[in-house]
Amino acid sequence: MPDCSVDAKAVGRGKRHGVGIPMLCLLLLSGCVAGQKAPDPELDRYQYRDTKELVRFVHDAAQRLREEGLEGIEELRRNRERYRTPDYYLYVYGMDGTNLFHAGMPELEGRNLLDATDKDGRKVTRLILDALRNQRNPHAWVHYTWWEPGKFYPVPKSSCHFSVEMPGDSTIFVGAGLDFPHEEKEFARIAVDDAVALIGKDGAQALARIADPLSGCNFRDVSVFVFRADGSMLVSPVLNGVDPRMNIVECVDEAGQRPFAKALDQLREKDRCWQVFMARSRYRRQPVKKGIYLRKTMLDGLEVYVGAVTALPEPP
Amino acid sequence: MKKEDKKRNLEYGVDDLPPAGHLLALSMQHVLLMFVSVGLPVVFAGQINEGPAFTASFVTFSMLAAGIGSILQSAGLPFIGSGYLCPNVCGPSYLSLSLSAAWAGGIPLMRGMIIVAGLVEMGLAPVVGKLRRIFPEYIVGLVVAMVGVSIIRMSVTSLFGLEFRGDAIRGTDIVIGMVSLLVMVLGNLWGRGLLRAYCLLAGMFAGWALALALEPEYLQGFSRVAQSPLFALPAFGAGFGSISFDFSMMVPFVIIAVSGSLKSFGNLLAAQKISSPGLESVDFAPVRKGLLADGLSTVLSGVLGGMAVDTSSSNIGLAGSTKVLSRWIGVAAGLLFIVLAFSPKLVVAVTLMPKPVLGASIIFAGCFMICTGLLEMFGEEWEPRRTFVVGMSLIFGLSTSILPELYARAPSMIRLFFTDPLPTTTVLAVFFNILLNLDRTLFSLRRRS
Repeated sequence: MPDCSVDAKAVGRGKRHGVGIPMLCLLLLSGCVAGQKAPDPELDRYQYRDTKELVRFVHDAAQRLREEGLEGIEELRRNRERYRTPDYYLYVYGMDGTNLFHAGMPELEGRNLLDATDKDGRKVTRLILDALRNQRNPHAWVHYTWWEPGKFYPVPKSSCHFSVEMPGDSTIFVGAGLDFPHEEKEFARIAVDDAVALIGKDGAQALARIADPLSGCNFRDVSVFVFRADGSMLVSPVLNGVDPRMNIVECVDEAGQRPFAKALDQLREKDRCWQVFMARSRYRRQPVKKGIYLRKTMLDGLEVYVGAVTALPEPP
Repeated sequence: MKKEDKKRNLEYGVDDLPPAGHLLALSMQHVLLMFVSVGLPVVFAGQINEGPAFTASFVTFSMLAAGIGSILQSAGLPFIGSGYLCPNVCGPSYLSLSLSAAWAGGIPLMRGMIIVAGLVEMGLAPVVGKLRRIFPEYIVGLVVAMVGVSIIRMSVTSLFGLEFRGDAIRGTDIVIGMVSLLVMVLGNLWGRGLLRAYCLLAGMFAGWALALALEPEYLQGFSRVAQSPLFALPAFGAGFGSISFDFSMMVPFVIIAVSGSLKSFGNLLAAQKISSPGLESVDFAPVRKGLLADGLSTVLSGVLGGMAVDTSSSNIGLAGSTKVLSRWIGVAAGLLFIVLAFSPKLVVAVTLMPKPVLGASIIFAGCFMICTGLLEMFGEEWEPRRTFVVGMSLIFGLSTSILPELYARAPSMIRLFFTDPLPTTTVLAVFFNILLNLDRTLFSLRRRS
């Protein structure tokens, strides 16, 4: 067992300084950095480190292309390995859907993928172009299935994109995606806010678009739903096309709580809220926590609620 | 200083009172380790969608309860408290159930159910004296070792800087954590005088400084310190005004109280082993008084409106590894915790300590707990039946952590007892020890009759 005896004289000499000086330094340091601005406050939108690193990776590459123009793309091709990690790789497209650079799948370079669809039928490039125009989606997130270079099975993917104005008035976009991505609260926020905007623009006609499994309102386990204040469903979270006759406000979670009733209480004073609830898990002794993002809006003169359920980060 | 302690070359025995400056610095070393648990009330408040004002008050009340609990536990009062250096912290084992109570009936119900759990713990305390026969020395050793094993998940994930499950590990976090751990361990082994006594503090500040130099994220956090007030009183919001109870939640809270008592039982046994290594058998009086203090602290946290508190395995490990055992350090650490509870600026500053540094501190303390337990366990002559008692208890106990998905679908009776490695191993070891020694028990009964 380690021996930890202490020299009494040494203790006497140093006792006044034991912890005070380092703590004082840390407090002074706090004053020094108080006025500094974080390099990219937009990253605060995300909870997971993987997501933040991906956004920074694409953001930095876009910045470089902005500075170097077309020469920058040649530079990317010369340093292909630098833009490919085990978790993600960079790609560059023209706004017509032509691939200009692909760090993970060089064989795609020069091909036009505007109408390429994933296994579920999503037109990925067109979704990206829509996302780049969407101000509610500042990092142009798109969710789809793709495959890993050299592998043969589809994997879920979430990619972020930045558009880059090139010299000569041309525009390109830069992106990269995570395979098996974390479910960020921001993804559900974007899907619900888009659905609210659709309702505001198209009224009741927007509901079919929201329910469309291939729209941006539905991906992986996230699906946007719409209900009236009495709990009756306009777009169901569980069935498409058939009214399940469920009253969502009366539904209970694994803890016996009524999360939607609680969320509606919150929405009396504001127009959007997050509500936590407990869901069953086959692999856990305890139920797992999930979150509902819910917004209040108007449809045909009546108040309706638009929301989505998403997974929440868990302690390691 | 006692002769026995002098022989072991200790600087401060259990009853020694260090000089004021030394007392303050050593207490701060413990307080920094106690701060690991302050993240729990913050997580709790986030999970119930409460805002910054509630979070600040909730953290203050939780720290107050932990501070008062530490004083009660260590002061050496006549009827309550173990009198060992055994600080209290916000108990992670209560987090999940407290959340369920808060969702079901808000903060009033959480407070009520925590009070119930605390009363159950207090009720169990007198029974401890009767446990002498069922806790032979080698099982005590096993329990102490399991206290160290039970912190593996938290310590390792912290050392690698993980915030959420499935997150990527940064290379810089590994460097920060390992450098911090190495400074602690080498300071303890090769250091002299101050460096040896404050090896944990030295490792913490070395790791912290390295983190600030290597990782901008850790530096950016300090802007929050400047925005926080130096002194603030907690606000008594709506949730803190009343207390309620729900009979349907009694059973899970009683179970968690029993489990918490077993954990504290293991911690107190470890504290005794470290503080009084000369004892030939367990002295159950301080353990009983310690459990009473633990229960009362939990009741107090319910009354105040904070998170339930628990004895801290890490701090006992720190006391053992530095061999600075004065109970007055526990009292001073409790007082410091109370003072810090009213200073948001200092709380934010300390909570900014990088996770890899915290992880290194817990691993450093855990090493000592595991080895103390193993030495204790194998200190006596070994016999084959002990192989099966320890082996089976360990296998099933550790399986709760290694195979949690297996127990998710187990029958409810199994789920009730197979919860976490420490309580499960303890219960099973006691059970198997009685079962496999049944022949001897019957023989001695027959001889007596």
